[in-house]
Amino acid sequence: MASVELRNVWKIYGGKVQAVIDACWKCNDGEFFSILGPSGCGKSSTLRMIAGLEEITRGEILFDDRVVNKMPPSERNVAMVFENWALYPNLNVYENIAFPLRVRNLPEAEIDRKVKWAAEFLGLEPVLKTGVKHLSGGEMQRVSIGRAIVREPAVLIMDEPISHLDAGLRARMRDELKKQVAELGVTTLYITHDQVESMAMADRIAIMNLGRIQQVGTPLDIYYNPANEFVGGFIGEPPMNFTLCELVQEGENYFITSPSFRLQLDDICKARFLGYRGNPKLKLGVRPEDVLVSLTPMPNSFGLRVDFVEPQGDRTIISLQMNGDIFLAQVLGDLRPEVNQTVYVTFDQRHMHFFDVETGVNVLYMS
Amino acid sequence: METNGTFEIHAEAEEIVARKDVSYYVSHILFGRVFRIVLLLLFILAILIPIVYIASTSLKEPIEIRVSGALLPTGPITTINWIKAFRNVPLVRYLFNSTVVAFFSTILVLVIAVPTTYSIIRFKTGGWFFPAWILGTYVMPPIVVSIPIFAMVKMVGLQNTLLGLLLVHTMANMPIAVWLMDSYIRAIPKELEQAAWIDGYSKFDTLRRVVFPLIRPGVLATGVICLILSWNEFLFALILTYGVQSNTFPIGISRYVGEHGLQFGEMSAAALAGIVPIYILVFLFSRNLVEGLTRGGVKG
Repeated sequence: MASVELRNVWKIYGGKVQAVIDACWKCNDGEFFSILGPSGCGKSSTLRMIAGLEEITRGEILFDDRVVNKMPPSERNVAMVFENWALYPNLNVYENIAFPLRVRNLPEAEIDRKVKWAAEFLGLEPVLKTGVKHLSGGEMQRVSIGRAIVREPAVLIMDEPISHLDAGLRARMRDELKKQVAELGVTTLYITHDQVESMAMADRIAIMNLGRIQQVGTPLDIYYNPANEFVGGFIGEPPMNFTLCELVQEGENYFITSPSFRLQLDDICKARFLGYRGNPKLKLGVRPEDVLVSLTPMPNSFGLRVDFVEPQGDRTIISLQMNGDIFLAQVLGDLRPEVNQTVYVTFDQRHMHFFDVETGVNVLYMS
Repeated sequence: METNGTFEIHAEAEEIVARKDVSYYVSHILFGRVFRIVLLLLFILAILIPIVYIASTSLKEPIEIRVSGALLPTGPITTINWIKAFRNVPLVRYLFNSTVVAFFSTILVLVIAVPTTYSIIRFKTGGWFFPAWILGTYVMPPIVVSIPIFAMVKMVGLQNTLLGLLLVHTMANMPIAVWLMDSYIRAIPKELEQAAWIDGYSKFDTLRRVVFPLIRPGVLATGVICLILSWNEFLFALILTYGVQSNTFPIGISRYVGEHGLQFGEMSAAALAGIVPIYILVFLFSRNLVEGLTRGGVKG
């Protein structure tokens, strides 16, 4: 096992395309670390540099404080689970799992012992002698994990390992995978574009967009304290609402105003703005579950017109007209207003996020 | 044909009869099918007739060959041509020479072409120029380089030897082998090789342990094609070999013209003896071969 650290790592393709820009983060020994981002954000390039499949344009990658930039993949002792699993189609399950052991010239008895252990661990014993072409998606996925863990790697890299499975199996494999990795205690880098996987499995998440690391933190930290507008909008389903507003000070009181609302900030929120000297024009971000809706006026609330109602049983998603945009609210299932009705809305002020209009940075970010 | 609707051709036809649309069946489906069969028969005939002709000529009396051009023997059947073909000309030696040249040149071609192609595709060896250049050599008519090649072979003292000829065949067949292997190697997902690298295998071991088992059908097909090309090759064999110890079969055939007058019967027998081994080989590998050729053909 090992820690993995990236120091100012860049990947530039063909002298022009910047796939990874100045990545700096550290995954601790034994940690389940997820790299999350939309496709094309540079997460695959990052992991390919860590695995040694891609050259590092600039910067350093360290395993246990040792620079591995020039080390070929065969010597890094990383194991990788590929998106398409990359099983050797001409070999059976047993030989696929044994493949990384064969090159190490281990005695046959030890290979056998290790393969059997991995197969038992993953529940693959009944199919050991089966050709991999005849396996189901879930089994193939487990074989690829078996091949990765059988040689006790320093770092286990998983590149979208379950994104090719169908939805039901994916949810089950998510839990199973997390349990298995926790049991092994191996340092794991988990690459995905699916926030649900990252949130559910990872100890910490690094969010990437357009080649840059946006934020590194625990799932809850990222959810409740997004570093910028991208992170806020990327994490959470339904996604965070955004609208432009202005911070106004009137004597002792602070208000945020926009054509659609005027909201007085409570003491906690006000305290966070004390000493704020930046642009009073801000972008407000509120998650749908932090939008509180009532059919009758509440203190410090404002009326909005209902655009669309989406009952989901346990909860209802309401689309509201806010400054000409759609603003989603997620409320309990028994609240079901009519379309075009005016409802009264206020926000859970503990979970209001304010972003710089130009840079998107969270102006109240607590690092 | 249409009595009580009891005829059975197949579902397609039944459906048409049910629609009482026999004229459609005749004009579109039946005609198309008959036309296709006739065309195929004509094609097979065109290919088979020369072989039938050779076979029948080899069984005709020499006198009959001279007076009759009939496809099949009209007089008594004889084996005299076969006996003379082997007695008057060292045919066995020619066949042996051809086998040595074809076999070893094919092995050499594969040993060089497979890693070369792999390296060109995966590691972009030689950039765009090297693969283009390899293919370019195939476009050029061999006669153009016959004099320099003869001079080179002579310079190293390999003229009139099997080694000299098989080296030249290796060179001549290299472009086609690289071209055929190209599509096979391209079809292998990169991730498989990357998985092997990460698993601890060197690049060469990855080629040997992961890539090779997957492209084996392609290697076989390429091998058979190179074997056929070398077996049938005439120009270089004619230039580079001039004695019994190194003449190959195609050159040997021409001996029946020179030394004993024009011996059609013996020549036919020898020709048949020479094409039978290669036909058997192709027959054995036909599945690989068809796959190999069509794959090469699909490539743009």
